[in-house]
Amino acid sequence: MREQHDDNDLLVILRHGPHGSSWLKEGLDAALVAAAFGRRVSLLFMGEGVTALMTNQQTGALGQKGTAATLEMLEMYDIETLLVDAQGLSCLGLSSEELMLEVECLSSAALARVLSGHRLVLTF
Amino acid sequence: MRYAILLMGAPYSNQASHSALRFAHAVVERGHRLEAVFFYHDGVQNAAGLAAPPQDEPHLGEAWVSLANEHRVALQVCIAAALRRGLLDEREAVRHGKDGVSVQAPFELTGLGQLIDLGTRCDRLVTFGP
Amino acid sequence: MLLHVVNRSPATSRVYQQALSGMSSEDRLLLIEDGVQGALPQLVPYYAGLEGRLFALKEDLASRGLLGLCDASVQVVDVDGFVELTEEAERTVSWY
Repeated sequence: MREQHDDNDLLVILRHGPHGSSWLKEGLDAALVAAAFGRRVSLLFMGEGVTALMTNQQTGALGQKGTAATLEMLEMYDIETLLVDAQGLSCLGLSSEELMLEVECLSSAALARVLSGHRLVLTF
Repeated sequence: MRYAILLMGAPYSNQASHSALRFAHAVVERGHRLEAVFFYHDGVQNAAGLAAPPQDEPHLGEAWVSLANEHRVALQVCIAAALRRGLLDEREAVRHGKDGVSVQAPFELTGLGQLIDLGTRCDRLVTFGP
Repeated sequence: MLLHVVNRSPATSRVYQQALSGMSSEDRLLLIEDGVQGALPQLVPYYAGLEGRLFALKEDLASRGLLGLCDASVQVVDVDGFVELTEEAERTVSWY
């Protein structure tokens, strides 16, 4: 059975949290641009990347904006397929109810299917 | 087949740029068309025209230029990632009131839309990260 | 079938776990750069279950003095073979 996100154009895999590096921001930028160009985009938060979805994020000490505000705009860009690696969450003792956006939790078995279901995969 | 390469590692900091360059030549040698190398994240440092590595080390910047000239490969550099890291072509240097220019043709500053376009248009996109 | 590419050693990085969790039962895995350490007999058990689908890049093994030390279950390919693997796979996914 195919799922709704199986024929999306682009899967952006986000494996880093906010503030520590620019990976998350630059990965999200790629996703937003693709969506603005009319591509159907899915985001997969994997490993440490799940911390991108924590509530109560703040700006950095020097005023670095972080990425939470960008994530809040995803719906405006029609990026609605938000997938989370269940193992990434459980490694940190978090649950999906604690996250700032509604997400679909994926088991390891489902991850492989999501990867093969997208025409283009970018890892950040 | 039509190929594109996405390079996100800085030159001389890790092996990603060397790996990408080696892969680029192998793609061409197998008879494929390499459309472009897209430089993103720290990979944009490959476009630094002022890089001056010791003479007994491979000159990555010059190697990209040769690849571009010999095989008509576009060298596309994400403009947002480049400007943040001090990489400006003549137009951007003027626009931002800077004295120096650090990016020269055939490297071209361009938007992320080009990466998405390459991913759609090419049969294969291969990423090299740090 | 996808080709997954890993450039980190399983001895020092957990990136290999991300790659494995993204792999289907037909997908292939190519070890490059520091990732080629994973081809050594001592480390290859991290990739248990990938017999016949596990590759390592010859040039990166050779430059590190590791050529000839690989486990017999690992298929060694040169960079031309790397391109061939990307031809055969629908897509390539890099883990770094």
